Amino acid sequence: MSVAIFQIIVPVIALFIIGGLIRRFYRSRASLEETIIGTLFWIAVIIFAIFPDYISNWIARLFGIKSNINAIIFFCIGLIFFFQYKLFFMIKKQQSDLTRLVRQLALNEDMQDVEHQKEEKE
Amino acid sequence: MIQKEEITVIIPAYNEEPAIRSVIERVHACGYPNVLVVNDGSKDNTRTEALDAGATVISHPINRGAGAAAQTGIMYARKYGISHIIQIDADGQHYPEDIAKMAEQMKAIGSDIVIGSRWIERSEGVPTSRVAYNRLSNIFTNFFCKAKYTDSQSGMRLLNRKAIEKIDLHIDGFGYCSEMLVHAEEMHLKVSEVPIRVAYTDYSMSKGQDLQMGINTALNILWKIFFHPPNR
Repeated sequence: MSVAIFQIIVPVIALFIIGGLIRRFYRSRASLEETIIGTLFWIAVIIFAIFPDYISNWIARLFGIKSNINAIIFFCIGLIFFFQYKLFFMIKKQQSDLTRLVRQLALNEDMQDVEHQKEEKE
Repeated sequence: MIQKEEITVIIPAYNEEPAIRSVIERVHACGYPNVLVVNDGSKDNTRTEALDAGATVISHPINRGAGAAAQTGIMYARKYGISHIIQIDADGQHYPEDIAKMAEQMKAIGSDIVIGSRWIERSEGVPTSRVAYNRLSNIFTNFFCKAKYTDSQSGMRLLNRKAIEKIDLHIDGFGYCSEMLVHAEEMHLKVSEVPIRVAYTDYSMSKGQDLQMGINTALNILWKIFFHPPNR
């Protein structure tokens, strides 16, 4: 079995990334959930790099697509949509949190003004 | 009868320096002493102008949109136990004289929210683009509502204490107009409409919603309907 260059480079890069993820976790810069999901993703990338034909044919069979290349393209597009969807939810939530924070600041500032006016009157 | 002192006029404002003073003065001239301007992160002198005109001002440190400002006004009313609030636009398109008519209707038929409708008796000089945009918005909003509203996008709305307690808006932008109606029905609030007049000027035309905002609004309403189920 001949080994292509990418079958060495991709796993090496992925191992470095996994190492980085674990280091971030131990330095409390990443949650356990993020570390596990990230590690599983990069392990999947390593497996795919080592057995590209086997994995792509398996995905093609799984989705009932004749060509393994098409299967990989569809699979990747699906993955991108999934991440896009996740990002959209995250941004929406952050926007909503930001609005609540801004509102709270405005109302607190008003309360301080009211208290200040009361003190001035006294 | 609802006394004028019982009504707080809430004006969400973003960069409204040229118009805000005259709007507040017109409201005061109609006998409504309580005016709250929600300054939505304006970069001009909206805050100073409003304070000088005798309004109470609360300021968002950054701009969050008309819906966010409207909800801040509602939260303010909730916090200070205000019995009635009416929201009007800061661009001067609404007539404060119409508030009395809306308050009468609220008392007469026991509404929790009274919408000032621009289209029951159409004012003169309303641009065709506005009419078309509002018709489309009405069709879209009414699709998700039990009642059929003639002006789902009106910025002039009177709310009583029950509505103040129950309404929670999640849409930061202009979509809050439709969201309030959908949410009011979910909360079993009684909503009615009263004809009002509007004065469209070049200034107010530059401030309203356009087609791009409309598409955004529609997407936001869909988002709200699917991902923010009511807390019954």
